[in-house]
Amino acid sequence: MHIPDGILPITISAAGYATSGAATWYSLRKIGQKENAQASVPKASLLTAAFFVASWIHIPVPPTSVHLVLNGLLGAVLGYYAFPAILIGLFFQAVMFQHGGLTTLGVNATMMGVPALLAFFIFRLRRVVGKESRWAVGLFGFLAGAAGLGIAALIAWGLLINTIPAHLDVEAERASIYALTLAHMPLIVLEGIFTALVALFLHRVKPEILED
Amino acid sequence: MIDGLDKYAHLRSSLHRWDPRYKLVGLITLMFAFSFVQDLRLLPAMLAVTSGLYAASRMPLAFLLTRLRTPGVFVIVVAILWPFISGTTVIARIGPLSLRQEGTLAMGLIVVKFISILTISLVLFGTAPFLTTIKALRALGLPPILGDMTLLAYRYLYEIGNDLKTMERAMGLRGFRAQWLSSRALGVLASLAGTMLVRSYEQSERVYKAMILRGYGHSSHPRDQFHRMVCIRAHPRDWAGLVGVFLVAAGFVAMEIWLRGSGG
Amino acid sequence: MKPALWISQSTFSYPDHPNVLQSIDLQIMPGERVGLIGPNGAGKTTLFLLACGVLRSDTGEILLFGEPVLPGDFHPEIGMVFQHPDDQLFCPSVWDDVAFGPQNLGLSKAEVASRVETALSLVGTLELASRPPHHLSGGEKRMISIAGVLAMQPRLIIYDEPSANLDIRSRRRLISFLQASRETILIASHDLELVLEVCERVVLLDEGRIVADGDPRETMGDVALMEAHGLERPHSLVYHAEPHHGCSGEAAAKREI
Repeated sequence: MHIPDGILPITISAAGYATSGAATWYSLRKIGQKENAQASVPKASLLTAAFFVASWIHIPVPPTSVHLVLNGLLGAVLGYYAFPAILIGLFFQAVMFQHGGLTTLGVNATMMGVPALLAFFIFRLRRVVGKESRWAVGLFGFLAGAAGLGIAALIAWGLLINTIPAHLDVEAERASIYALTLAHMPLIVLEGIFTALVALFLHRVKPEILED
Repeated sequence: MIDGLDKYAHLRSSLHRWDPRYKLVGLITLMFAFSFVQDLRLLPAMLAVTSGLYAASRMPLAFLLTRLRTPGVFVIVVAILWPFISGTTVIARIGPLSLRQEGTLAMGLIVVKFISILTISLVLFGTAPFLTTIKALRALGLPPILGDMTLLAYRYLYEIGNDLKTMERAMGLRGFRAQWLSSRALGVLASLAGTMLVRSYEQSERVYKAMILRGYGHSSHPRDQFHRMVCIRAHPRDWAGLVGVFLVAAGFVAMEIWLRGSGG
Repeated sequence: MKPALWISQSTFSYPDHPNVLQSIDLQIMPGERVGLIGPNGAGKTTLFLLACGVLRSDTGEILLFGEPVLPGDFHPEIGMVFQHPDDQLFCPSVWDDVAFGPQNLGLSKAEVASRVETALSLVGTLELASRPPHHLSGGEKRMISIAGVLAMQPRLIIYDEPSANLDIRSRRRLISFLQASRETILIASHDLELVLEVCERVVLLDEGRIVADGDPRETMGDVALMEAHGLERPHSLVYHAEPHHGCSGEAAAKREI
């Protein structure tokens, strides 16, 4: 769902860079406030690479297979490092695989990164129930994963529908929005389930990863 | 993967010799200038500039075509709808579908812009080793944390990717076939992803120890640890290249504004 | 003469693993080449991390060339070559990685370049300078991780399992290199033959305690001692008139003559 170059008007691309800049600034500030920010740079960096690779895992969805986005899980695990991680991951994808775009880097980063940060906040809410509780990890993991993809998809489709130079009639426009949302529902659920499963795995094997 | 991108980074062309900092600024400006274009009359000029730059880079055409293939498919799929659903002026009928003029033209615009911008980005990143380009970004003011993270992530991407392949192979050799979306398959794949994350996390702790043992955080420079770009004195040639590209970009923007203004 | 490394009454526990090191007393004099042997889990790597100041001992003190080791401080006089080169080669190119330490020492660009070239030449890998680490073989990675430590010109170098995963030729190259080096070195290794060839003193560590400290041939030749601590006598110390290659005594004796 990365938006490639050439489709969006320059005002949107520029706005995307502005919002990305703001989100990056916010994230770096929050990171700088932490005690041992320096120690967490290698952690965040290697996890960024690991998430990038993890999104290559094929999930069979007959008749084909899909690659999950995992921005919700990334948010849950990396916290404030999530936005820089997504920015870097998208940069690698654009440059190495021509997936997504460079003029649209800001837009894509905002589209994936802001939901990732929101997923972090959602996942953190499990403290209300009790951090050690397994079902809280599972439930909030699911919510974080679903929200991560769901909000990103909403932003993506909203952008595409509203900015592509088209002379669509209202009917066609509404129909296409419904169709796209419907098509994404199963993926959103899948993403939520997968995120919950990985969160439960991490909670069992290496709970420190899920610490804030 | 990453190697693929650096394949032609050692060639000798004016673009390879261009100071990476100026190249970054110049070519990104050009990409945005292309992004600004909406008028179809500017497309031939765009294609001319793009092919000119690619030819000057001396990289083979096959390289560009392989790189265009995968994203091209996505764009085609999206763009293929447009001639049939967008617009009111019908220019042809194919069975129950009506080919519309506005949509066809919009598709043409998207496809040409996409190809041009992608080609420019390949020229930017293919004519210097990836590492050099990152250092150029740092020299241009990329925040230290982002610079460190990018370099470390880039360094370990290959290892982690290999680890994934090895683990998938090992799973396959013990009979795992992920063909159906069963809860078991999903659980196994979630464990695979989780294992990768845990291993990377644990490795990062060792890497951090290795870093501090060699002075990470104790540099006399208050900035980040990876930024020590060998200071290349910029040649007048580098400046000339930048000015040249700026002029071309400005030209496109000016023409676009003028064409819009004159009711194009 | 001040000891290069002086560990006195040091203990250390991890939160989930108590008594990893129990009251360790160890002195290493400048110029010595010491081998540290012991089963997995004996505490060798932990001991190294204490000596480098990465971990802080719960009790006791540690002096490096007479100065106390302060955890968190940068001590370029001591360098450590990690067990897995990939954990240590974290820069995208070999040149950058070897330059990392000297740059953190605040040296000038010229000095950094000179140190990098010297270090790479010493380990015989100057031609690999522009390559990315993930393109290198295990042996090459090992030598470059050593170069990265040498570039800081430490006076004491710790090697953690240096010959692990090396092929025969790379291992031989490593042994020759260690034999020729002039720094004080401390090597932890399961490769007991390497310890025999390189070190003039061996320390046996088991369950967080030093159980033996002395001449390598005597210590490692003591079958009872070695086997009591999960080790074996190295093959080269086995008396070769004893039949031990799976054939009968007579035939073996005949063949030896």
